[in-house]
Amino acid sequence: MANLTIKNLHVRVDDESEHKEILKGVDLSMNSGEIHAIMGPNGTGKSTLSETIMGNPRYTVTEGDILLNGESLLDKPVDERARAGLFLGMQYPAEIMGVTNAEFMRSAINARRADDDPIPVREFIKELDKNLNLLDMNEKMAERYLNQGFSGGEKKRNEILQLLMIKPTFAILDEIDSGLDIDAMKVVAKGVNSMRGADFGSLIITHYERLLDYITPDVVHVMMGGRVVKSGDASLAAKLEDEGYTGLRDELGLDVQLTDEN
Amino acid sequence: MNKKLFTSEQELTAFSQQHHETAAMVQIRAAAFEQYAELPLPQFQKINYRTWSLFNGEPLVAAPSTLKPLTKSTATISQQGTQPAQIQLNAEAQAAGVVALDFFEAEQQFPELFAKYYMTIALAKDAHRLAAFHAAAVNSGVFVYVPAGVQLKEPLTWEFTQDTTTGQMYVHHVLLIAGEKSRFTILESRQSDDEQAISANIVEELILQAGAQVHFTSIDELKSTAYLARRAYLSANSRLDWALGLMNDSNVLDDFNVDLKGDGSHTEFKAVAISAGTQIQGVTTRVTNYGQHTEGNILQHGVILSDATLIFNGIGHIVKGARDSDAQQENRVLMLSKTARGDANPILLIDENDVRAGHAASVGRVDASQMYYLMSRGLSKDVAERLVIRGFLGSVLTEIPLAEAREKLTATIERKLIDGQKHRDRAE
Ligand SMILES: Nc1ncnc2c1ncn2[C@@H]1O[C@H](COP(=O)(O)OP(=O)(O)OP(=O)(O)O)[C@@H](O)[C@H]1O
Ligand SMILES: [Mg+2]
Repeated sequence: MANLTIKNLHVRVDDESEHKEILKGVDLSMNSGEIHAIMGPNGTGKSTLSETIMGNPRYTVTEGDILLNGESLLDKPVDERARAGLFLGMQYPAEIMGVTNAEFMRSAINARRADDDPIPVREFIKELDKNLNLLDMNEKMAERYLNQGFSGGEKKRNEILQLLMIKPTFAILDEIDSGLDIDAMKVVAKGVNSMRGADFGSLIITHYERLLDYITPDVVHVMMGGRVVKSGDASLAAKLEDEGYTGLRDELGLDVQLTDEN
Repeated sequence: MNKKLFTSEQELTAFSQQHHETAAMVQIRAAAFEQYAELPLPQFQKINYRTWSLFNGEPLVAAPSTLKPLTKSTATISQQGTQPAQIQLNAEAQAAGVVALDFFEAEQQFPELFAKYYMTIALAKDAHRLAAFHAAAVNSGVFVYVPAGVQLKEPLTWEFTQDTTTGQMYVHHVLLIAGEKSRFTILESRQSDDEQAISANIVEELILQAGAQVHFTSIDELKSTAYLARRAYLSANSRLDWALGLMNDSNVLDDFNVDLKGDGSHTEFKAVAISAGTQIQGVTTRVTNYGQHTEGNILQHGVILSDATLIFNGIGHIVKGARDSDAQQENRVLMLSKTARGDANPILLIDENDVRAGHAASVGRVDASQMYYLMSRGLSKDVAERLVIRGFLGSVLTEIPLAEAREKLTATIERKLIDGQKHRDRAE
């Protein structure tokens, strides 16, 4: 069993002029075999948390720690974290001209293998076909340039395709459902569910309870004002859907500005 | 540069005799020999090559040892150093009457074509010192003639290797004549056997007669200090497409030129380059629209590692009278280190009103968000960088018609980048 623990995490982002503290002490722990969901109002730091766990150099940890199986990840660059088992399905994946999707995935898989033991081409193609099929994706998507000209929904599916090919231990999925039509959402959920098992855990960030109808989480966390303010079981998501964040904030007596109140 | 002459008149004559050269060629050599030291060096914007040793080695010293009659015949040509070219023509080419000959044999067999096209309209013998030196000292080369109307399915493949171990300077000439409405593809590759202080002076002349369509791919991997000219002359309605991989390891002065002389002629010029280590590559590509309704497009992408330098000059010149013509260009350079030096320098000279012209240029660094994305999937920095670069250079790769040549250029790019990264990582 693998474990990912976030301890009292404080994170700053260095904008042009200001140094803004965005995360103000996040605590969270999860094991492989579990699905956790994070919900929370816009601008509260959910993407910041996921990017910081992955190791995006734009974010600076000022306090606290991120531990994978008890070992700190803080001084490891992003590629090492990825090879250690982390994956981040991004809210805004980059587009890369001239590099095909398939070629990229093959490189990513081989990055986890010994230099003299690359994945055999036939094995790769078999796995790719299987996963394209599972995600209802056209074979041509694999030969297109990485995310280049992909629609919003195609990019999201493509993130899940990479997840299925790379098979990380922990996948953080940042708003993987945004911009997806209902059928696409089901497909994405099917992809994530196919990964479920003792060796896989996922942290799913979403604004909508709907995704969680298809991927039932074991734990739901609510983030507000740069902290996790409440955790509970799947029913917490339903409760938020009904009452909104203002209700929860007032119930908890928090002094947090929500963006839609200005 | 020193003004000591590279040889004497007697030796020059002796060399000509040894090669059974025509009187016309003897004359050309003598005149160029007279002139070259006094002629100015060619000037290329922002490229300062005055300290380069472009004249190392003596061109006429080592006489070719195996002057044996050639098997004429696909047109697979390979030439080791200044030895006579090994040429094979396949059945298709033979039946079509394609001629491919070693330079010395060709000047004897086709004196009229030499008189008309050898260093006349594509690069004049007295254009500048490097050209005149070439005319005086040329010691190897090939001649290819594709007759009118001939369309070749298979590419003409030629491979030239500079042999630096002989101590002989490499002065190599290619003269290609594409007859009217002929249509074919050329795959060239150039390399050096070793890294020694021997220079090269290479001139390739591509003459396209009316309606000819030629696709020219080359992968250059020179290791010697070199002047490398590729000069094309396009007659009416002819078309020349280029895909060049400038993957040299040494200081190279590339002088590429296309004259769109005939009405309706068209060139698409695409080149990619990588400079690594401490090398300097200076690339000047000029397209001149003389004829009406002519079109010339230049696309040059390059990558610089470590302390290397890469300069792209793109010159689009539309002369008065070249109505309804088009000149576009894009020059982009990506720098992978703080000490890399690069320039992308577009120049448009427009002397006619009824034209379209435009340019784009940039000197930039690898996009951080792309790098982060790739690395977040576990690729190391070096591998991620190579992928982004390969994407950046992709515009030329996709242009290469043959899968095999595409793969070769991909592999060459990979090799050069890995070398460059190693050099950088050691320095860091
Ligand atoms: N790179 C950055 N530069 C400047 N400000 C940033 C940066 N990243 C995040 N922020 C700021 O940090 C705050 C938290 O942003 P973050 O993207 O983490 O929120 P979020 O919870 O993911 O919101 P959403 O639900 O809208 O995706 C916001 O105010 C945002 O503007
Ligand atoms: Mg977000």
